[in-house]
Amino acid sequence: MELLLGLIGVVAVFALVRSFLPARTLPAGAALGAVAVALLAYDYRELVGLEFWSGLIGFVAIMSALMVVIHPNPMVSVLFLILNLFCIALFFLILDAQFLAVIQVIIYAGAIMVLFVFVVMLLNLKTEEGLRLGGGPQRSGAIVLGAAFAALMFYAIRNRGEAPYFDPGPSGPGFGTARDLGGLLFTRYQFAFEAASILLIAAMIGAVVLAKRKLR
Amino acid sequence: MRVEFFLLMGALLFTIGCVGVLVRRNAIVILMCIELMLNAVNLTFAAFAHENQSMAGQVFVFFVMTVAAAEAAVGLAIVIALFRRRRTTDVEDASLMRW
Amino acid sequence: MDPAIVRVLVESAVKIALFFFVMLTAVAYMTWVERRVSAWIQDRRGPNRVGPLGLLQPLADGIKFLFKEEVTPPHVYLPVYLLAPMLIFVPALVTFSVVPIGPSLGLLGHRIALQIADVDNGVLIVLAFSSMGVYGVALAGWSSNNKYSLMGGLRSSAQLISYELAMGIAIVGVLMATGSLRLSDVVAHQIEHGWNALYQLPGFVIFLTAAFAETNRMPFDLPEAETELVAGYHTEYSGMRFSMFYMAEYANMITASALAVTLYLGGYHVPGLARLGLPETAAALVQVLAFCVKVAFFLFVYVWVRWTVPRFRYDQLMNLGWKGLLPIGLAHILWVSFLVLKGWV
Repeated sequence: MELLLGLIGVVAVFALVRSFLPARTLPAGAALGAVAVALLAYDYRELVGLEFWSGLIGFVAIMSALMVVIHPNPMVSVLFLILNLFCIALFFLILDAQFLAVIQVIIYAGAIMVLFVFVVMLLNLKTEEGLRLGGGPQRSGAIVLGAAFAALMFYAIRNRGEAPYFDPGPSGPGFGTARDLGGLLFTRYQFAFEAASILLIAAMIGAVVLAKRKLR
Repeated sequence: MRVEFFLLMGALLFTIGCVGVLVRRNAIVILMCIELMLNAVNLTFAAFAHENQSMAGQVFVFFVMTVAAAEAAVGLAIVIALFRRRRTTDVEDASLMRW
Repeated sequence: MDPAIVRVLVESAVKIALFFFVMLTAVAYMTWVERRVSAWIQDRRGPNRVGPLGLLQPLADGIKFLFKEEVTPPHVYLPVYLLAPMLIFVPALVTFSVVPIGPSLGLLGHRIALQIADVDNGVLIVLAFSSMGVYGVALAGWSSNNKYSLMGGLRSSAQLISYELAMGIAIVGVLMATGSLRLSDVVAHQIEHGWNALYQLPGFVIFLTAAFAETNRMPFDLPEAETELVAGYHTEYSGMRFSMFYMAEYANMITASALAVTLYLGGYHVPGLARLGLPETAAALVQVLAFCVKVAFFLFVYVWVRWTVPRFRYDQLMNLGWKGLLPIGLAHILWVSFLVLKGWV
């Protein structure tokens, strides 16, 4: 946790300083430098611990999410989102949700993002101009609410109590496997499952109808 | 106690996605930031499923993924249809019904 | 560090190093195999000057590629342009990491599985990294900043995702029979109940067809023929980077053959080997050899089909994928569920 916050803090300070220059992308060098500094400061015995890897994956996830939002080229945003989805899949693995981790890669990173790549390629989108930034009230509102959010997180972490963060403990046998999930899906949540399949058919037909060219 | 890290991650990712939806112009990037928010929610559900050792959280993640897939498909189809009309994906240009 | 972790890391590192070496050599020699077998089918000689039987030809080709000038056009989007060949090559290798090459051996006092990663979701990882392979093609086309590459990349990635679906449905048939997602369980089930190809023939044919399409091989190689005709997704690549695409195609072929063998042809199983009563290491060696022979057979089939069937047009290809293979696949699932219900599998 401290690793993650330290890394984000260093990068945030650097980005703030850098934002006074006309540059819209966080320099990769800053991020790498932050990682190097944090690694040097960290206790080497923790390097194989779950806490270290969770912090590292969390850092990559947040950095890639920021790049999704900041980078002007839509295709590069898609690539960073794919990286982010991979990090979330790794988080699912840490949380004993192994089936969900692989499903995340197959469906989200492997199908939905391909759809996005297709559309960006089809429409041949280039770099866009400008952000939709509002005027004065929006800016001051953003600063106030941002500070409030930061304070909220700070106090939530500060008052977390005595137990260590990464104590996932052993999960039950078969927790998170396909067998467990499938068992629930076909017995208790069967109606939702059938409704989801109807939803998917409706979405498929809708997408085909919407994107179809009119036959002349 | 064990779950706070993932809740924090979910909160941060959700916020970043939210800012992206509010700030970007390109309709496709807005859709991607929506996906980011949905993923943050998935992470939170999976964290709670792990803490309470209940598979219901993971079943919900499964359904969120399904709905996200359907919504991304239809949303992109709408963007393509809009692009065919107006040759732009800028949401500021889709202002016919704005006052 | 915990000695168990150290043991796992060392074991995995050795397996990965061995696998890498074998795979890259196999990819290089696939070029030789393809050229000799194509020549034999076409009633001519293949390469036979460089070394005995032309066996040093891949080496000569490698040296040639190394010395070729790498022209990086100025108009490409450099980060993605450099990333794309890796995105095609890596998923093929990762997919192979869950394939069991042989039974588990008892070496040096430990049981070693002849599989780099025997995970609970082996089959799903195969599907996941096949999905990842689409990105390399699409991004290569996009980063070249060239309308023809863009369209080429778009069409070939559309082909890849269409046939991915058919492949998934064929795999579902195997999963229903096996009842587990681990690839070692799939092989164990086939050892017990007979090879899957025997009673899941439609699924086998669908899987093979989809594998041909996924690896961009004849008769589905319109993306490559576009290279001959106008352009393709790898038109702006030259030298070592182009050879990455070329090698990636062969790596994909080897992986797809290995998967077909594992899912449908019993993996490393040699029927009747148990009766011979060989010592464990020798039996394992024979089974690994059997696996290699089966994969080699499929690679031969790849080359054979290439020179037998003419190339599909793009709309014929898409029709086959969506209107042909998908309904047959669904019917196949009905058939396999009937078999499972009756308990015959």
